[in-house]
Amino acid sequence: MAGIAASRESRGQLAAIARVRWQVFTHSLRSKRGTLELFSRIVIGVVITCGGLGGAVLLGVAAWYFVSNAKPEALALLLWPVFLFWQLFPVMATALSESIDSSNLLRFPLSYPAYVLVRIVYGALDPATVLGTFWLVGITLGIGWARPSLMPWAAIVLLVFAVVNMLLTQMIFAWVDRWLGQRRTREIFAVLFFLAMISLQLVGPVLSRYGDRSNAAIHWAGRFANPVQAVLPPGIAAGALASKAASQTSHYSVFLGALVLYAIVILRILSVRLRAQFRGENLSEVPGRSAEPDSRPSVRLAWSIPGLSRESSAVVEKEFRYLSRSGPVLLTLVTPIVMLFVFGLGGRAGRDAGFLQNWPELGLPVGAAYSLLLLTNLIYNNFGPDAGGIQFFLVSPASFRSVMVGKNVAHMGILALELVALCIGVSLLFHPPTAAALLLTLSGLLFAAPVNLAAGNLLSLYSPKKTEFGTFGRQRASQTTVLASFAIQGLVFGVAALTLLTARHYGRRWLSVVAFFALAVIAFAMYFFVLTRVDRVAARRREVLATELCQ
Amino acid sequence: MSDVAQMPGNQNSGNAAAISTEKLTRRFGDLVAVNDVNLRVAPGQFFGFLGPNGAGKSTTIKMLTGLLAPTSGRIEILGLDFGDRTTDVKRQIGVVPEGLALFGRLTGAEYLTFVGRMYGLDRETTAKRTAELLEFMQLANEPRKLVTDYSHGMQKKLALAAAVIHGPKILFLDEPFEGVDAIAAGTLKSMLQRMIARGATIFLTSHVLEIVERLCSHVAIIDRGTLVAQGSLEELRAGVAAQAPGALESEGKWTLEDIFLRTVGGARSPEQELSWLG
Repeated sequence: MAGIAASRESRGQLAAIARVRWQVFTHSLRSKRGTLELFSRIVIGVVITCGGLGGAVLLGVAAWYFVSNAKPEALALLLWPVFLFWQLFPVMATALSESIDSSNLLRFPLSYPAYVLVRIVYGALDPATVLGTFWLVGITLGIGWARPSLMPWAAIVLLVFAVVNMLLTQMIFAWVDRWLGQRRTREIFAVLFFLAMISLQLVGPVLSRYGDRSNAAIHWAGRFANPVQAVLPPGIAAGALASKAASQTSHYSVFLGALVLYAIVILRILSVRLRAQFRGENLSEVPGRSAEPDSRPSVRLAWSIPGLSRESSAVVEKEFRYLSRSGPVLLTLVTPIVMLFVFGLGGRAGRDAGFLQNWPELGLPVGAAYSLLLLTNLIYNNFGPDAGGIQFFLVSPASFRSVMVGKNVAHMGILALELVALCIGVSLLFHPPTAAALLLTLSGLLFAAPVNLAAGNLLSLYSPKKTEFGTFGRQRASQTTVLASFAIQGLVFGVAALTLLTARHYGRRWLSVVAFFALAVIAFAMYFFVLTRVDRVAARRREVLATELCQ
Repeated sequence: MSDVAQMPGNQNSGNAAAISTEKLTRRFGDLVAVNDVNLRVAPGQFFGFLGPNGAGKSTTIKMLTGLLAPTSGRIEILGLDFGDRTTDVKRQIGVVPEGLALFGRLTGAEYLTFVGRMYGLDRETTAKRTAELLEFMQLANEPRKLVTDYSHGMQKKLALAAAVIHGPKILFLDEPFEGVDAIAAGTLKSMLQRMIARGATIFLTSHVLEIVERLCSHVAIIDRGTLVAQGSLEELRAGVAAQAPGALESEGKWTLEDIFLRTVGGARSPEQELSWLG
C-alpha cells in the first residue's frame, strides 16, 4: 500500500517537474529574446533532424546491403561509429550538450528512483541521443527492409543498445565531473590522461615498424581487435543480430542478455554518482578542515602585463585562475592536441594511410582552426562563467572595453599555448612545421581570430547565458549564440577555403598568405570598431545581463 | 509624500548632498516600480532605506549604483550627475548588491586583489589592503578556500571587504544583514561604524528594523514606489507622535517598527483558517 502511495507521489512529482519546465519555456516566449531562442532552437533542431535523417538513410541502406548479402556480422561496422559518436560528441561539442542542475530538486521529498529517472530523462535530451536514435531507427528499418522477419528482433536489440549508449554517456559525464571537480582527483586524472597520450604516441611507431611486413600486422591487429570489439556493446549487438539472422535464437538471447547486463552494470556505476549527489554531495575544491589553521601566506601581488591597463591585466589574471580550476574546460581545450595524435597515428603515407600521414603539413593549420573553433565556446559567452560577478563589472568604474580586452587577451593566450603544443605535437609525429605552414597558420588566425572575438564580444552582451566551468554539461551557450556561431564559422571557413583554393588554382601558395594578411587588416578594423561600441551596448543591455547571469 | 515626510526640519541642512535624486522614476511596462522619488542624503549620514516587500527599495538602489537605468529623473552623487559622469561616480562609491557580485572560483584573496586592480589601485596597495581586510573580516584562516565554498556570512563579509577596498566616500548596501549570524553581523557593523567615523556616507536597505534603528541616523520609507517618509529618526518620531497623539500603548518612545507600520499602513492580513497546519 505504501509502495502504491509512494509511486503515486513520484508520478505527481515527475508531472510537476515536467509542468514547471514547460511553464518556464512558455514564459520565456514572452520576451523577444525568448522568441529568438525558440527560433534558433527550431533552426538547430531542423539541422540536427536533417543530419539524423541523412545518416539514418545511409545507415539503413548499408544495413539492408549487409543483411541482404548474408553478412549480418558486418553490422558491427555500422554500430561502432554510432557508438563512438554517441560517446564522443558530447565531449567535443559541449556547447550543444546540457545537463540539468538537479540540486534544486533535493529539497523536495523526491524518492531516489524518481530522482534517477529525472536525471536520466533530462540527460537524454541532447543532440547525440537524438541523432543516435535516428540512426539506430534507420538501421532497424534497413534490416527490416532486407528481412522483415528480423525487424522485431533487431528493434529489441537496438533499443537496448540505445539505452546502453544513453546510460554510458551520462555515466562518463558524471564520473568525469567527479574527477575534475576537485584538485587532487583532477591531478590524478591529468596524469592518467598524459600517460594515455604518451601511449597513443607509441602506437604510431609500432604500426610503422610492422607496416613493412605486408598486411600481416593488420591481420594480426584484426585478429586481436575482433575478439575485443565482440565483447563490447556494438559487437554484442551485432552478434545478436547475426545470431538471429542465422536462426540461432538461443545465441541471440545470450547476446541480448549480455547487452542488458551491460546496461545494468553501467546503471549501477552511474548510480554510485547519482546517489552521492542525491545525498547532497558538494564537490568542494578545498581540502578537509584541518585542526590547525593554515599558515597565512602573504597576499601575492597582482599580475602586471606590459601593454595592458591594470583593469585588463586583472581580468586576464582572473580568467587564467578560473580556467586553471575548471577541469572540463581544460579537457575540452586539449582536444585538438588529442585529435592530432589520434589522426597522426598509423603507418606510412599511402592510399591506406590516414589524412595527416598523407598531408602532414596540414596538421598545424587544421589543429589551429579546430582550437579556435573550440575556444569559441568561451569567446561567444564571455560573461557566462562570471555569473553573478557581472554585477561587479556593472558597478565598477572599469570600462567594459577594458574588461573585454582582458578576456580577449586571455583567450588568445590560450590559443597561443595550444599553437605551441600543436607545433610540438606535429614535430614529434612528423617533422617540425615548415615555414610556409607556420606562416599560413598565423596569417589565417590573424584573420579568423579578430572576426570571432568581435562577434563573441557582441554575442556575449546580446545573448548571455550563465554557465558552470566546473561541470561538463553546463557550458552550453544560448541557442541564439549557437546559431550565430554556425553562421560566423560558415563565413570564416568559407572565406578561408575560397582563399586557399584560389591560391592553389594559380599555383601560388604565398598568395593565400597575402590574402589572409589583407583580410586580417579588415578583421582587426572590425574588431576595434566593435570594441569602441561595447560600453554603450553594455550600458543599454545591463538589465538583461544582470537578469540572465544572476538567475 | 505623507505628512511625516512633510514635517518641518525634514530637509537636510547641508547644501552639497552625498546622494540626491530628482523625480527618479522607473517603469517596467505598465508597472511603476519607483515613482518620482526625491531623495536627499547628506554627507556622513548613515541612511536606512526601508519599505515593505516589492515597494521599490532594490529598484532604487540599483538605479543609484548603475545596475539599472532610470526611466526618467536625475541622480546626483557627490554633486556629480550619474548619467554624465558615470565612471567618476563609480570610482567614489562602493556597492554590496543583492547578489553580492562575487566570483566563485577565486579565493578570497584573489577576489579582493582583482577588485582592487579593477578600481585602479597599484599592486602594492592592493596586496596590503587585501591582507588587512581579510584579517579584519576574519577570512584569513583558510586562504585556499574558494569563494563558492564560503558560508553565506563569509560571502557577505567578503563582499563588504570588496566594496571598501578602494576607500569609497559612499557605500551602498542592499540587505547586508540578511542571512548573517550575530558574529558576522558584529564584524559588518564594526566595519560600517569605522567608515562613518571617518566621514563616509552609508546607504543601506534592510528588513531588520532593529539594526537600522541602532545604526542609522536618518531613514527614508518607500511604499508602492513612492517615498512616504524621510528624515532623521527623531524627526520621524515627532511626526508620527504629532499625527497620532496618545496612540503609543507602551510607555517610552516610538520604535522604528511602530513608525514603519504606521507609515506604510501595516494592517495585518485577515486571519486565515489554515487548519491543515495543525
